[in-house]
Amino acid sequence: MSRHSALNRFGRSANPAFTRGFENHTGTLPLSERMTLDGAVNKTGILLALCFSGAAIGWNIPALMIPGAIVGFILALVTIFRSKEKAGSTAPLYALSQGIFLGGVTLMYENMFDGIAIQAIGLTFGILASLLICYKSGLIKPTENFKLMVAAGVGGIFMLYMVSFIMSFFGSGISLLSATNGSLMSIGLSLAIVCVASCCLVLDFDYIEEGAEKGLPKYMEWYGAFSLMVTLIWLYLEILRLLSKIRSR
Amino acid sequence: MNTIFFSVLAIFSLFVFMNLGKIKASKKQTDRDDRINRFGSRKARGSQKKTHSTIIEGEAEVIDDEDKK
Repeated sequence: MSRHSALNRFGRSANPAFTRGFENHTGTLPLSERMTLDGAVNKTGILLALCFSGAAIGWNIPALMIPGAIVGFILALVTIFRSKEKAGSTAPLYALSQGIFLGGVTLMYENMFDGIAIQAIGLTFGILASLLICYKSGLIKPTENFKLMVAAGVGGIFMLYMVSFIMSFFGSGISLLSATNGSLMSIGLSLAIVCVASCCLVLDFDYIEEGAEKGLPKYMEWYGAFSLMVTLIWLYLEILRLLSKIRSR
Repeated sequence: MNTIFFSVLAIFSLFVFMNLGKIKASKKQTDRDDRINRFGSRKARGSQKKTHSTIIEGEAEVIDDEDKK
């Protein structure tokens, strides 16, 4: 290793989990085997269509809601930690199973508050489109600090959910997270969670944009679409919860 | 009315996503020095323009005023 290449590598992690060998791929693959923006967006469209199909099943057979959630969760873990290369087969199954789960959840909320589902769908896609416009135009610039703030926010929310989940085994829970708690504090918390989930969308856009720019392998189109779906599903659930809190007032 | 408004919003937003998503982001977004370095191969914009190092390699010499005279 020459002195200059040693200097260029200074301060960079040698952990293979962080680099995943993408440095070897970037720009060296044939054009047809590289990730493109077109491919990632089309694949997101396919995943959305599968999610809607799953939702139709979950809406009509609510008993499948829990199995759908469990299968979706396992598939998400497999895609993230085991095989990004196989995202082409795991991501569609993930979208379908999570769609079944969302269909059941949406039916539950719809039975409580009439018309809440279409409001949540409209707002979710509205946020998606407006943030995409802001990202593409350069109005929102994701930086390392931005990423750190979002990661801290996601970590905090995860801890809150975990504490609430563990407390639910003992017959209690965090009332602020309850979907029928219409207090200002509770609505404020939901609003903050929606903001963090929206910021995750910006990070996903940047991931796809950079992946296409660097010419990552084709399977990363599926992975990019998958990560966008994960964020969209989370955002939809949080908007559903926020709307139900507002309606409970 | 409510349903129609949110349905139109969802369809229009999806249309925007499917079309705008395929367009490359603006230069203002992509040509930044403070972008997230995910794949570990980005160098600072200033250093990419340089074709060679500005470090002058060689041995240091002591300049003595006495020698000049």
